Amino acid sequence: MRAQFRSRIRLVLGVVIFIALCIIVRLYFIQIVHGQEYSQKADRQFASGGSGLFDRGSVYFSRKDGTLISAATLATGFLVAINPQTIRDPETAYAALRASVPDAVSRDAFLAAAAKKNQVYIEVAHRLSDAEGKTLADRDIPGVQVLRERWRQYPGASLAAQSIGIVSYGSGDMLAGRTGLEATYDDTLSRSGDSLYKNFFAELFSNVGNLLVAARDAREGDIVTTIEPEVQTRLEDDIAKVNRKYSSKESGGIIMDPATGAILAIAKYPSYDANVLRDVAPELLGNPLVEHVHEFGSIMKPLTMTSGLDAGAITPATTYNDTGCITVNTARICNWDLKARGVIPMKQIIVQSLNVGAAWIATQLGQEDFRAYFTKLFGSKTGIDLPNEGGALLGNLMKPQQIGYDTAAYGQGIAVTPVQMVRALGAIANGGVMVEPHLASAVRLNSGITRTLDWSRTIPVFSAEAARETTEMMTAVVDEKLQDGKARIPTMSVAAKTGTAQLTDGRGGYHTDRFFHSFVGFFPSYSPRFIILLYTNDPQHVTYAADTLSPSFLDLVHFLIDYYAVPPDRGFATSTPE
Amino acid sequence: MHNARPYFPFSLLSVCYGAVGVLSVMYIGLIAVVMSYAALTVEFSQSVRNDGAAVAALEGQYLTSVARMTGTNYVDLGYTKPSAKVFVREQSVTALR
Repeated sequence: MRAQFRSRIRLVLGVVIFIALCIIVRLYFIQIVHGQEYSQKADRQFASGGSGLFDRGSVYFSRKDGTLISAATLATGFLVAINPQTIRDPETAYAALRASVPDAVSRDAFLAAAAKKNQVYIEVAHRLSDAEGKTLADRDIPGVQVLRERWRQYPGASLAAQSIGIVSYGSGDMLAGRTGLEATYDDTLSRSGDSLYKNFFAELFSNVGNLLVAARDAREGDIVTTIEPEVQTRLEDDIAKVNRKYSSKESGGIIMDPATGAILAIAKYPSYDANVLRDVAPELLGNPLVEHVHEFGSIMKPLTMTSGLDAGAITPATTYNDTGCITVNTARICNWDLKARGVIPMKQIIVQSLNVGAAWIATQLGQEDFRAYFTKLFGSKTGIDLPNEGGALLGNLMKPQQIGYDTAAYGQGIAVTPVQMVRALGAIANGGVMVEPHLASAVRLNSGITRTLDWSRTIPVFSAEAARETTEMMTAVVDEKLQDGKARIPTMSVAAKTGTAQLTDGRGGYHTDRFFHSFVGFFPSYSPRFIILLYTNDPQHVTYAADTLSPSFLDLVHFLIDYYAVPPDRGFATSTPE
Repeated sequence: MHNARPYFPFSLLSVCYGAVGVLSVMYIGLIAVVMSYAALTVEFSQSVRNDGAAVAALEGQYLTSVARMTGTNYVDLGYTKPSAKVFVREQSVTALR
């Protein structure tokens, strides 16, 4: 009995070992001998069956009344894929496809795809509308699949495109944010890609933590920006007009709340349509207002003035003898019109934009103090929530030659980014305190919670008194000088300063006939709600920023006063000629 | 010594069969519920996305309208520039606040 039992056990054991050996041999052939072939086949099949629909959070503009308008969202439609192995007659299939959707794919492209008989899945057309997709699906063409797809859509097309950014494959096979806010907040916007095809039980056991604490819902969400769509549209329109009128190389602008750092509009021309990236030059994809540095010229003078006032080196009543030109370290510094003004007070340095006066303040301030102020203003990045922020070039302020400080005082010889410039000048508007410029104000999490982002870090640079004294001088620029005083708004104080810098020639010198124009202003002067920075690079047949950028600046000021119903801050009822 | 073997009024094997049957039905039911839930979730998600896309299309129209109005040259349309601008007083009741 026992011997019979033992022989049965041995028989069963033998069968098990035989089956195991068969499986091992089979696995060897599948994984080792034909491994490459099966791997490729699996990859091809994965594309059709395994890939879930593209999913990603939205980016929103914020209207002045708090309404959210999509800046980046998802569009849905259909794609057409074919299985070359099951298509019997490609010509007939194409004719049927063309009868439903005439422009979906060219005949040559369709037949070329159908000829690839070693493949089982080739996508031949994308972004079909719901109606087109359903019509095509109803025809039930053998070998032709109509599948649902989603893609990134930017309802504003080119509106704030360089700030919102793009989603693309990049070097890998994952769609991800590559530029702008899409890149900065990619972790929040990207989705894990849940689909029906996953193994539920594997998910259950491998993601227990996620099920318990819903970590994904606490991480994934939508981004709410501070960009106001109508203000953004107006700014883009204005800088495009300037760029076209003067055939500039590029133009840009920023409108920011100087008290909070919230950027209401940020634009550069030329830009691109974010929905049509096929022919976009790669250099347009970044945001030059954050990445590129420029020598801004005389809009630096208010910062020099405020530094001098704050340090006690000068007071508004201080006078100096303006000789029109001075020589420093063998270099010659002159006023824009080469004319001397004689003994004049500090205010005239800002109102008449005098280079000799700015250089004089730099000398009074001393190299160490001048370096300390400008390093505080420009020595660090702003921390704006856009990728690849550039740093300022302040090399001249690290050398002992006085010429470097004198030229920096009126905005030549040092280069900063536009966003650094608006932050620094915003300190004058904000009682001497620099804020953090930012584009995103909140994250709307999938859990339903809206998390407000913290941008409260401030850097005190000047005293409030020094900032106010400079503001008075800048207000006089608009009231007395700009457009010969016609720009003055009787019921609204506006502070501004123009800047015209010579462009570098790439050989260590400067062009005498090519310029970088800039313009900064804020209003109401003594309790500002908006600071506006504009620039245009290399405008043709025009020398001064007062000619190129004043109309745009004033248009924006009047638009913002009307749009936000900014109440008058000084009371004079009068009428002025247009 | 008395052998105190427990006595069951029913067969243990029958109980096991019953338990297996119940567990099998529960297992199949669980799978059905999970798959139905997943399908409904995906369907609902797709419906939300479709609505979102429709809203985005309307938002696109709004932004296009804003761009068109901003770019309108009123002089080209036959309107003339005002000969003078009158500004309200700070104290005026009509001043916007």
